[in-house]
Amino acid sequence: MIRLSRPIALALSVLALLVVDPFVASAQPPPSLSEISERLDDLYRSRASIARMEIEIVTPNRTRSMRIRAWSRGENRSLIRIEAPARERGTATLRRDRNLWNFLPRISRTIRVPPSMMLSGWMGSDLTNDDLVRSSSLEDDFDGSVVGPDPEGRGWLIRYEARPGTVGLWRRIETVVNQAGTIPIESRYYDRRMRLARTMTYSEVREMDGRRIPTVLTIQPNDRPGHRTVMRYVDLDFDASVSESTFSLSELEQQR
Amino acid sequence: MFGTTLRTAWRNLGRNRRRTGLTLGAIAVAQTAVLVFSGMINGFGDSTLETVTGPIVGHAQIHAHDWREERATEMAIDDVTAKLAAIRALPGVDSAFARVYAPALVASEMDGHGAMILGVDLDAETGPGGLLEGIAPEALDGEHPALIGAAFARDTGMEVGDELAVVGSASDGSIAADLVTITGLIETPLDMINRGGLIVGISVVQEAFLLEDSAHEITVRGADPGAADALVASLSTIDGLDELEILTWQEVAPEMSQILEVMGVYGYIVMIIVFMAAAAGVANTMLMSTFERRRELGMLLALGSGPGRLLRMVLTEALLLGLLGVAVGTVVGGALVLYWSEAGMDVLMGGGASAEGLAMFGVGVDPYVYPFLTVGNVVAGFIGIAVVSVVAAFLPALGTARLEPVEAMRG
Repeated sequence: MIRLSRPIALALSVLALLVVDPFVASAQPPPSLSEISERLDDLYRSRASIARMEIEIVTPNRTRSMRIRAWSRGENRSLIRIEAPARERGTATLRRDRNLWNFLPRISRTIRVPPSMMLSGWMGSDLTNDDLVRSSSLEDDFDGSVVGPDPEGRGWLIRYEARPGTVGLWRRIETVVNQAGTIPIESRYYDRRMRLARTMTYSEVREMDGRRIPTVLTIQPNDRPGHRTVMRYVDLDFDASVSESTFSLSELEQQR
Repeated sequence: MFGTTLRTAWRNLGRNRRRTGLTLGAIAVAQTAVLVFSGMINGFGDSTLETVTGPIVGHAQIHAHDWREERATEMAIDDVTAKLAAIRALPGVDSAFARVYAPALVASEMDGHGAMILGVDLDAETGPGGLLEGIAPEALDGEHPALIGAAFARDTGMEVGDELAVVGSASDGSIAADLVTITGLIETPLDMINRGGLIVGISVVQEAFLLEDSAHEITVRGADPGAADALVASLSTIDGLDELEILTWQEVAPEMSQILEVMGVYGYIVMIIVFMAAAAGVANTMLMSTFERRRELGMLLALGSGPGRLLRMVLTEALLLGLLGVAVGTVVGGALVLYWSEAGMDVLMGGGASAEGLAMFGVGVDPYVYPFLTVGNVVAGFIGIAVVSVVAAFLPALGTARLEPVEAMRG
């Protein structure tokens, strides 16, 4: 046996630790929580944007595809218009604050969505009407904490608990973000009774108009096996010029 | 010999008119109450049965499996025209109708309201046994006529003449949208329709919701609601119906048939309570009357009357008392039931809600009950009270028969 002097042995063991423990060797500490929350809140947000998306609604019996164009301004104005398929072309949904209207070109009528239908899916998808009018912020309405590394090794697991007094559907949202804390990978939404209601997955990170964002969002409801909605950003213009008049009811009825 | 016993018993009853009268009265009141209650139960049961097995539910219903739980628009019965023809051709089938149920958002102005669209064959269902039997034909005029549930119209301010946008989810998930015009109000026993329903022509709904020649429900009526099982059995023999769910009305609305059964049980319970009360009355009367007449009864024994004879006398008195009471009660109760069977009895006693109507388990209930009595109702009272009177008087009678004449005479 080689007898090492104490100081040398100590130095060798520290070195060994550095080599053997990947955590110490390659991982960075988790980025600041408020940075992560802000990032997540502002991921797709800008002062005004125009996007084109493809939406696929999958059910056990069939799959339906739609192409839509979406205008948004600030945090509470948005207009979605269906461009394809032909049968539904021109159908539009306007959101102003917490109000939602649907325009049906086939009958030339605009209908306001009543509160009782807020939890129904928008146009038959797994995205709810409520999702469209909600403007809650992870930073302002939730208390976040870093739970630790994601058990599946994809990054960090962040837990957001709704602040008492917050009005909303979700009591807890658990989000997995990448190592750098810049891009979400998966979000799990828990309802007021702490039951897992749905899982949102973010994939195909690409650069769009200068930002690196996941371009495919998949919503999987927990209580309906075989159902999911996949939303893909085809293009996204973050600094578009969108006027306030785009979001008026009279504009809604102009089929464009 | 029996004649003497009867005469003696009658005379003995007459000796204390007030006591006899009171006991008689009590038994009569009890029998009246039982008859009125039975009459009400009969009337209620009948009207409920008619409502449930009426156009809404029918005697038997056919659906795609799981439709009743899921209520998914795409879970429909295909080739409905052919199936209806086959069903109507079946012997024992009086009528059959196909219906489409589509949840939708309806709006006369800009505000949408959640509603259930019920697509029915407007022509066929105005005929006998149909949902729209009795509706004026003008109410079904126009391009896309629609009938709105009365309470629904009242709650939302929608009126006859309004053009409504109807928007929902078609069978393939795409958007279903159409316009209909309200041409009339409707009140059906189905609460869901009254409070949130719109009845529209079935072809209009099929087209808008992409349900070509499909429907969610076929209701079938035979001649007798009691023969629902046989009806279901013969329906199962039709080609194409074997992959579908075919149910009797009792299976479709188990709560209703349970209610009918429970009400029958209540009737029995009331009768038993009444018999017990009558027994108490008779027993008390007989005890007192035999006690008072101890000396006289003792003397009878001493003079040679057999104890058996005495027993028979007391029992006859009791029996007579009971039967007279029942008779009086039957006359009064019968008269009341007769009156109410014509005039109708307001179950809610004008409680205010009668305008809206009552609903139980989603089916409207007529607040006016038309009672009636069966022979069984009346006879049950007679037999019951007769038995009860005799039993109640048995111990006092036995006591009398066992009297020691000398002691009894001593008082």
